[in-house]
Amino acid sequence: MTWLLLRTGGIAMRPEQAAATSRINPLLHYRSQLLGVVSVALGFLIWQFLSTFIFNPYLVPPPLDVLRAAIPMIVSGEIFLDISVSMVRILVGFVAGSFAGIIVGVLIGRIRLLHDLLDPIIELLRYLSPTAMIPIAVIWFGIGEMSKYFLIFWGTFFIVLVNATAGVLRAPIARQRAAECLGASRFQIFALVVIPSAAPYIVTGMRIAMASSFMSIIPAEILAADSGLGYLLQKSAIMLQTHRIFVALLTISILGFVVDRIFRWIVDKSLSRYVSAVSVV
Amino acid sequence: MLQLRNVKKTYGATAADSYVALDGINLDIASGEFLCLLGPSGCGKSTLLNIMAGFENANCGTVSFNGAPIVGPGRDRMMFFQDAGSALLPWLTVEQNVRFGLRVRNVPKQNWDAIIDRYLSMVALDQHRRKMPTQLSGGMRQRLQIARALAVEPDVLLMDEPFAALDALTKRRMHGVLLDIWQRTGKTIVFVTHDIGEAISLGDRIAMMSVGPGSNITKILRLDMPRPRDFTNPLVAKMFNEIEAELSLEILRSEQLAAAVAEEKKP
Repeated sequence: MTWLLLRTGGIAMRPEQAAATSRINPLLHYRSQLLGVVSVALGFLIWQFLSTFIFNPYLVPPPLDVLRAAIPMIVSGEIFLDISVSMVRILVGFVAGSFAGIIVGVLIGRIRLLHDLLDPIIELLRYLSPTAMIPIAVIWFGIGEMSKYFLIFWGTFFIVLVNATAGVLRAPIARQRAAECLGASRFQIFALVVIPSAAPYIVTGMRIAMASSFMSIIPAEILAADSGLGYLLQKSAIMLQTHRIFVALLTISILGFVVDRIFRWIVDKSLSRYVSAVSVV
Repeated sequence: MLQLRNVKKTYGATAADSYVALDGINLDIASGEFLCLLGPSGCGKSTLLNIMAGFENANCGTVSFNGAPIVGPGRDRMMFFQDAGSALLPWLTVEQNVRFGLRVRNVPKQNWDAIIDRYLSMVALDQHRRKMPTQLSGGMRQRLQIARALAVEPDVLLMDEPFAALDALTKRRMHGVLLDIWQRTGKTIVFVTHDIGEAISLGDRIAMMSVGPGSNITKILRLDMPRPRDFTNPLVAKMFNEIEAELSLEILRSEQLAAAVAEEKKP
């Protein structure tokens, strides 16, 4: 394994380089995937070592103990309930926030008056993170689902909006002028040229917003909820169940990774011709 | 016929930071003519082209096409860009890019296929109709831009250094393609370039421009040699040298001017 690590030196290879080396050793064809597995496995090994020999295993439970704690939670379905509750909150807030962010964002990018009117207020509001909005959200909407939807919406809306506006503003002027010469109306230029040109920016904004949703759902559930992964963290902390805290933390990171992959897959299947278009020069 | 009378273009809102880009431009372009606008960088030739297209308005003077003043972009004048990658719609295939123009111009649907076939084969892209613009070479993208422009049948092609980013061999080939299309369709072409050889290869006339501020047309040369123009022909070679000498002087003059302005601004 060591020689594998040494030989790559952690540098990404060009495809033709990878193809050339794969003729020498078929194992090298999958080297980045293999190294990914190695990286995670090494992480777990180091963690196991540290918590067995260096740290207090009660404060930093070793991975095997964490796994042991996870099994009853999986068998009873408790963890899946928390996952689904948090995921639904993220999904509702994210979809609503993305929709609103895209619509307002492209209009701000296109209509000068709207831009000048709304841009200053947006520039102020977007520094209010969802976490900062938790107390007022609880007062407005209670500790039920609505306050979580609102908080995720809040975080998503501004990120998607800012990116959608940037995408619209950066739609190549030559492309719009060429369409205008061809005979496109102002609306056609907007709908058929500007918005597709902005698609890569919008998708990027949505990916960042998805990551931020994962970060904001946890504090929201810690402070004001009676279900979800954040609540699981909070409940376990009160009862000093560090094993269960680590189960929750592990779940959040795996979930985020999986959701991002799914998002990328969906984009790849449905929007690839727009997203890859950005590289044309 | 395109007619420009005393065209002046100034940038900047206040008198202090205003910049006179063009001053006193007079030009008549006959229909079916191939006119090259030749000048060094910063002489305002692209600005002049944008004014003819209607993307920018002149501050003074009149610009008219077939007797009617130009107030904005029109379907009769097709602008053609150097950066085909951004001018084309990269999420559509070759064929769909041409179809886009027909669709927004409300050409009857039953004619689409015939028009697409005709113009894609004119630029030798009919074998590549299902490819995406990313999969095409630079020269092929420019040919697609030509096909897309011709498909909507404009009267005038306004071309802003369309081949400047291509390698020398591809460029020469594109000249052949463009001249062939021009001779077959009889379009009026206004072609902006800073390449003397390109201007001599293509134009019926070459309008030479001075460097700004206040650029104008210093000289109009008529080229009566038959095409393709042979650069070993003494007449052509002589013309090339004359133009080069004149443009070199022009560049020198503009550099001295810039230096003088910088000197003046020193505290």
